Parts: sequence; C-alpha cells; structure tokens
Amino acid sequence: MFRKILIANRGEIALRVILACKELGIRTVAVHSTADTDALHVKFADEDVCIGPPASRESYLNISAVLSAAEITGAEAIHPGYGFLSENAHFAEVCREVGLTFIGPPPEVIRRMGDKAEAIRTVRHAGVPTIPGSGGLLEDEEQSRQIAERIGYPVLIKAAAGGGGRGMRVVEDAADLPRQLEAASSEAMIAFGVPDVYMEKYLGQPRHIEIQVLGDTHGNLLHLFERECSIQRRHQKLVEESPSTALDAELRARMTGAALASAAAVGYVNAGTVEFLLDVTGEFYFIEMNTRIQVEHPVTEMVTGIDLIKEQIRVAAGEPISFGQEDLKIQGHAIECRINAEDPDTFVPSPGKIRTFHVPGGPGIRVDTASYAEAVIPPYYDSMIAKVIAHGNTRGEAILRMRRGLESFVVEGIKTNVKLQQRILTDEDFVRGRLSTRFMDRFPVPVRKGQE
Amino acid sequence: MSLDSKELRELIELIGRSNFVSFELEREGFKLRLEKGVGTAAGSTAGAVSVVPQPPAAGAPAAAPPAALAPASAQAAATPAPSALAPTASQEGPAAGLVQMTSPIVGTFYRQPSPDAAPFVEVGSRVRKGQVICIIEAMKLMNEIEAEIDAEVVEIVVANGQPVEFGEALFLLRPLA
Repeated sequence: MFRKILIANRGEIALRVILACKELGIRTVAVHSTADTDALHVKFADEDVCIGPPASRESYLNISAVLSAAEITGAEAIHPGYGFLSENAHFAEVCREVGLTFIGPPPEVIRRMGDKAEAIRTVRHAGVPTIPGSGGLLEDEEQSRQIAERIGYPVLIKAAAGGGGRGMRVVEDAADLPRQLEAASSEAMIAFGVPDVYMEKYLGQPRHIEIQVLGDTHGNLLHLFERECSIQRRHQKLVEESPSTALDAELRARMTGAALASAAAVGYVNAGTVEFLLDVTGEFYFIEMNTRIQVEHPVTEMVTGIDLIKEQIRVAAGEPISFGQEDLKIQGHAIECRINAEDPDTFVPSPGKIRTFHVPGGPGIRVDTASYAEAVIPPYYDSMIAKVIAHGNTRGEAILRMRRGLESFVVEGIKTNVKLQQRILTDEDFVRGRLSTRFMDRFPVPVRKGQE
Repeated sequence: MSLDSKELRELIELIGRSNFVSFELEREGFKLRLEKGVGTAAGSTAGAVSVVPQPPAAGAPAAAPPAALAPASAQAAATPAPSALAPTASQEGPAAGLVQMTSPIVGTFYRQPSPDAAPFVEVGSRVRKGQVICIIEAMKLMNEIEAEIDAEVVEIVVANGQPVEFGEALFLLRPLA
C-alpha cells in the first residue's frame, strides 16, 4: 500500500481523497495555487506545496509543477480527482515514466476512450448499441433517404462543423426530408462556413443513465449499478440519483451488461463510468465513457455502502477489489444536489467571501464540501461549492430528506443555487420521476441583451 | 467615525498617563491599538502605536490615515518602536528598501551549479539583471534562476538543498540604482 499520495486537485474532491487516505493510514500531499493557500484541502493534508499562480493552466494543470511537488515530497502515487489532469493521457504516461503510480486506468485506455469516435467504434465492435447514424457525411438526397430508412424516423440532420446544440434539424418523416436537408445544409454554410451535414437517430426525450464500473489488476471487473443524471443545464449536471425510476430489473441487467462489455473491450482498470442515453422506447445507446471518478460518485456510495475512493487507491496499489458483484445490492435511494456559487435565476457565477456557512445534517444527509465560513470562493475555478446527498429507504423519503437538507443549508455572503434546487425537488415531474434531458427547459433564464 | 490627529494625540497622551498597558479601539473604518513596552533591551519605555485603516464601509468617507506618529514618551530605543501604518497585507513584507525574490517554480534549491563548484552568490554579492543567482532542480532538470534586477544580496533565505514551492522567498535583495 502507498505510504504517501499527492492529490492533484482542489476543492471538495481533493478533501474527499485526503480524508479517504487518512482512513487508510496514508500520508497526503496537497498542491495548491496561490489563490488556494487557505483552502481546506491544504489545511487537512499532511504536507502542502504551492505550485503556481491562480490560473489553472499555471497551477493545477501544470504537469511539471505537479510532478516536481511529488518529487520533493517523496509521494509515490498521484490521485487526479476529476477534471484537471484526470483524463490527460499524457500526464498518466509521464507519471508512469517517472515511477509514480497514477490512480486511474492506464494511459492507453484513457486515450482510447477519450477519443469519442474511437470509443464508439470500440464498443460497437463489442456489441454495445450506439446511436444509429450515417457514419459519414450526407452526399445527396437519395443516399440520405436510404440512410434515414435504415435508421428509422425521426432523424436529426447535424452540421459537421457545428456543436453545442447548434446547426441541427429534426426530420419527422420521409416527406419532410428534402426540405430539411436543404435547409440544414444552407444553415450550416451560413453559420459554420461549411455545408457538410451528417445524420443521426433523433432521441426526443432521452434520459441520461450512466453505469459505475470498477476493475482491478486481478481480472475482476464489476458494476455498481446506475445513476440517472438527466437534470442538466447546458450539459452541466445539477441533480443525480440512484437508482433510476426508468430502469426495471430487466433493463438494468441489459444496461449494466453493456457497460461491462464496454469496459472489458478496453481492459478497463480502476473506477470509470459508462454513459448511455435511454430513449422513451426503451432503447439505449452508448455515448461515452469517463475514465475517472465522477462528481456524483457519492450517490452510488450511499446506495451500495462502498467507498469508491478507497477502492480506487487499493486497486492502484495492486490489491484486488474488496468485494464481489454478488455482494452488491441497491439499498434505498439516494439523490445528490450540486450547490453552485451562482445567481439562482441568471446562473451568473458569484465568487466572494462566505460570511455564514451552516451545513445540514440529520438522518440520511451527507455533505461533501471544502467551503467554510470566512472562506473566499475564488473566481478562477468552477463554481461548485458543495454537494448535498440525501439517502432514504424509498425515493419519496430521499426527496423529503433532501428538501429538509436544502432548507437548513445556510450560506450567506455569496449567492447559491439552493433555491433553484428546491424548485427542482418540489417540481411535480421530478417527484413523479418524469425525467429527461429536456427537464431544465422549463426553468428558463431571463435573457440579457447580447446573450444567445 | 475616525479620530483626527489632535484627538489621536490626546488619546495617546491620556492612555500614556494612565495605568493601562494596552488599549484597543475599533470603529467603522478605523482601528487603533496602543501598547506600552515593558522593559525593552535599552530599558526605555518605548511603546508601540499602530493605526490600521480598515476598508471603509459602504457610504462612509475614507479616513485619511494619520502620518507616522511616535508616542510622546518614546526615546531612541534598541528595539525600534514600529509605527506600522501600512495595511495589514504588507505587515509581513520585507523591511523598507528590500525586495524579496521568490521562486518561480517548485523544486530543490541549490546555491551552486554543482556540488564542488563555488556558490553563485554570497551575502553582499552584487548581481546584474539576468545573472544566474541560483539553481532550482525539478525532475532532474537544473533550472538556472536569474536575478530580475540589479541588486545586492542582503540575505539568502533558504538553505542549500532545501525543497521550495512556488512563491517561496529565496533571497532578500537591495536594488541598486
């Protein structure tokens, strides 16, 4: 087992890893920018090294600074957390070259799954369903018609040079195709300078369902069930839960099977998450794999009783996973709400000094945070300041506990999205489990002049 | 509400004459602390006055900090009476006229290019801008660190072979005109 681990991250995840190391009797090294000198992860680590000025590029993303810090402190392993260098294959490679253990999958796996197109090819080859599509650019109306017939209407025509949801047109049926094809192509030309378009199956109200997987170096690969993360705004998750109300035992078996096949196809080691979109028809499709621990991992920990961070460290140290697939079952229901330092109506970030900070407690409430009263939330990093996780014997109880938790969560001095989270938790569709990635469309932002 | 010079002088004299050893007053925009020195090295009764302007609350007029005040009974003492008027941020900074040179990277500090060679500088050495003043080794790479100004080396803050972090003070320099 390692004697000393360096945590190449900040905020709540850095603190989370440091505390897991304390349980394992491992000494910890925190690295920080000058903006995080008083941060909680620095205070709780056994040693700390300032590695650069506030800008992430010069500090948390600065590979040579992070490695130098490991060198002067004698750290044997690096936990990259999430974000920052956690999915940087080059960083994982350099760690290996200098004899440091990167706590995560091998660089080759990170690289392969990090390339979305390559990942899709890989899992499709392993028999995992992916979103049906043209597989290339649309050439003419006849070819497009044939592709659409194969995929099945409704289809989506997307600009090849587009992105972020722009340059897409839905085609409901064959009669609609010529007109939409024409329109999509000219719109693409105007907006992106290139008329190239391709086609994909259109999923109207998909649900984001992801499966947690964990592999070790002894040939064990298992899953820890699903998380539903449909409640997102601009691809930023807001609320996550486990289990998903959309999955019955049969669908769960098929999806976890597909996730394991995806992970096995690349020889996955350590913790990872396979993401799917679930259509209203009950069909699901692989979209990508995240080769790191995720923000919402506590939700899985609450329903399985497993400490994922400790397992990550054990696996990286060459130990087998400390439990078997048959030992796992979903117990109760867990929901996580991300608390961001932002205006609850406009979503504009709200950095600054926290004057009052009272976290909720009581049965079934867990708060993962590195914030505290008098802490200064710097403007240089993401705005998440805490995660509130509620667990109950039923989904209903988890919802009641979350509402109680949010109500008693006091943060003064900065603005937070607690009120928005309360609106979501009391929303009728949410309570009934009627979720899709379109959920947040009903929570509109007042548009300022000049905004899209 | 802050005190003007006259009121401040009166208050200091009042406390000075009293039996109080230390006195602290805090108002919006203003904080005053008076302390009577007890048995300094020279046996004087030099005390310390520090007036720290707080950032004014919204709407309050910014108080103009009084010029350097020494207590009426101060004598030239072996231990100088600091009348720190600067905002707290610079209270930990170097003494007047000196500049701290800090490490631009993480690594191990070395005073000489190799174990047998002479150090780049000693206390008292004069360096030109761009002159190599030390080595910081990181990941087996010897990074030559250059002086950023023409200066005289007043103090070498870290020890040879000591690990240093970003921003850590390495040298105290007196800039040369």
